[in-house]
Amino acid sequence: MIINKILASYTFRFLWAYVIGLSVSVLIVLMLVYATYSYDYFKQLQGAVADEIVALEEVYENTGFGGLERFIGEKIEKGELNRFYYLVVDQEKRKLAGNLDDWPIYRRYDDGWLEFHLEILSWNDQKRELRFIGRSEEIGDGYRMLVVHHHGEFRGYAEAIRGALVRSMMVTIVLGTIGGAIVAGLSVRQIDRTNKTLQSIMSGDLSDRIESASMRGEHKELALNINLMLDRIQQLMEGLRQVSDNIAHDLRTPLTRLRNQLSDMQDQAVSDREDRVQPLIDEADGLLSTFSSLLRIAQVESGSRRAGFTRLDLRIILLDVIELYEPLATDKAIRFVSSLQAEAFINGDRDLLFQAFANLIDNAVKYTPENGCVNVELGSAGEEAFVTVTDSGRGISAVDQGKVFERFYRVEVSRSLHPGNGLGLSLVSAVVKLHYGHITLSNNQPGLRVEVRWPLVD
Amino acid sequence: MRILLIEDDISVADYIGKGLRQSGYSVEHCADGEQGLALAQKSEEYDVLVVDRMLPNMDGLTIIQTLRAADNKSPVLILSALGEVDDRVKGLKAGGDDYLVKPFAFVELLARIEALLRRQKSSTSETKLKVADLEMDLLAHKVTRGGGGFNLQPREYKLLEYLMKHAGQVVTRTMLLENVWEYHFDPQTNVIDVHISRLRQKIDKDFDQQLLSTVRGAGYMLRDPEIQ
Repeated sequence: MIINKILASYTFRFLWAYVIGLSVSVLIVLMLVYATYSYDYFKQLQGAVADEIVALEEVYENTGFGGLERFIGEKIEKGELNRFYYLVVDQEKRKLAGNLDDWPIYRRYDDGWLEFHLEILSWNDQKRELRFIGRSEEIGDGYRMLVVHHHGEFRGYAEAIRGALVRSMMVTIVLGTIGGAIVAGLSVRQIDRTNKTLQSIMSGDLSDRIESASMRGEHKELALNINLMLDRIQQLMEGLRQVSDNIAHDLRTPLTRLRNQLSDMQDQAVSDREDRVQPLIDEADGLLSTFSSLLRIAQVESGSRRAGFTRLDLRIILLDVIELYEPLATDKAIRFVSSLQAEAFINGDRDLLFQAFANLIDNAVKYTPENGCVNVELGSAGEEAFVTVTDSGRGISAVDQGKVFERFYRVEVSRSLHPGNGLGLSLVSAVVKLHYGHITLSNNQPGLRVEVRWPLVD
Repeated sequence: MRILLIEDDISVADYIGKGLRQSGYSVEHCADGEQGLALAQKSEEYDVLVVDRMLPNMDGLTIIQTLRAADNKSPVLILSALGEVDDRVKGLKAGGDDYLVKPFAFVELLARIEALLRRQKSSTSETKLKVADLEMDLLAHKVTRGGGGFNLQPREYKLLEYLMKHAGQVVTRTMLLENVWEYHFDPQTNVIDVHISRLRQKIDKDFDQQLLSTVRGAGYMLRDPEIQ
């Protein structure tokens, strides 16, 4: 499915990792801002508390406890209770002055600062928990003074900011993921299309091109460049083919003359020399037949034979091929089994199809040892007709299977054991492609299984 | 036997002309399409016309069509180079009797010319073929030799019929494929030899006289050894 494809795509994973990475960096930056800000805030707070204590100590020193009590009283009166809370106690921790009732239970830090929280009633009778920070000092005569400041508001802001941060981070990740999926989807679609075209080209249709009209940006540029590269490859291949065809074409005439002169010589020669001329004629015939095969492949590949396609029954052609090759198999004691379905019509060239089947069956018989088995099957599946030829020979290794359709390619072991020019399967492949078909080789364990598929016609 | 050869490639023409003359034919050569047509029209005496497809001034198929339109029934063998348009069907539809792709071995050309000449002579109303003591009854589909009958497969029957119709003549492997199997293709192995040897097993094995022989480098021949 497209969703799975998107999720598995490199673009998506890359974008997703990017979104996560970006979120983490933003989080780190915001945490730093938070830390710096709160550090400054507490520093200021501590400074204010320290100043207040110094002021109160001065008041005590100058005016004694009475003055301090008055001073604190004035401060509270002035409505500065929002800022500072005071408590002066005696040795038994009994309240002497201030606006806190009891000596609180606090946490004392190493640097002497205290922290605690209290529940207080706010102006509308609601309980509020407030956090305080402050210091206590001995002010003489066994009295202790506590000056604190609450920082609950700051905590509140911090909580709110943190909540907002986490939520926006979530939204960022979700939106980033969706955005990434959309971008990846678009890119997956374009790359998918490009890959499909390239696969079709690799399977043989070199004339196909990537459709770049609907693409944009780098994808379009890439598609255009691939197309240009394909044009170039096609040109080169055509040039190469042209050269080899020309060679085959031009060398055939002198070879024919050579062959015929040898033949003349044989007619005139005395009998002992006649035997020496025959191998030369055979050699010339072999070369001529190789050239003819090359040119025939070139002709098939040019596609001009498609003009003469007619509707024909594969069964009839197969029966004729089987009938032609059956005695060859019988001579080698090979079991020749065929199972052909009633009819299978395709559009094609009768002679070329016969040639292709003949080459396949000829190979099967050739490479199957005595007492082996060759099996020919005709069937149809869906919109396609298929023909399989299987043998019980030594088969073709997976490495060679991709190469045997190349011209002149021969499997190493067969080079020495069996005669041939390495063009038989090239011709088969050309004929199959001419008929818009596909050919696949697989292992028959032991032996080779060749399967050819064509689109059926009514 | 007179043969008109219309071919513009001088080396091919020389080679065909020389070979045919050595085989006892009288050959007239013409390198131009229009002149060739004029020659063929002037005299209806030619037994066979050998016409190349690609000719200066007028192509081979037009020559044949013109002759056929004028009711000239001389057998025509068309020559064509592979790599050019290999359109056998078109050639035969235009009125050609046989079609040979260049380059070819001379024996192939000779065998085909002889087959064309034979076709001209033999009437289609023949109902019995006979070579030495081998007889084929075309109506009853029966083959006998020296009084005994054979059980032939349909294809073997067809093969033997073709060989008997061309008795005394070299018949090449391609001719057999084209006429007996009716496919134009290039067998890569000796698949025809196997069929011939099977046929030979049936018609020659129990007899002293061997009728079906292999002609080295060319093909096969069925003939009565007493007639030379």
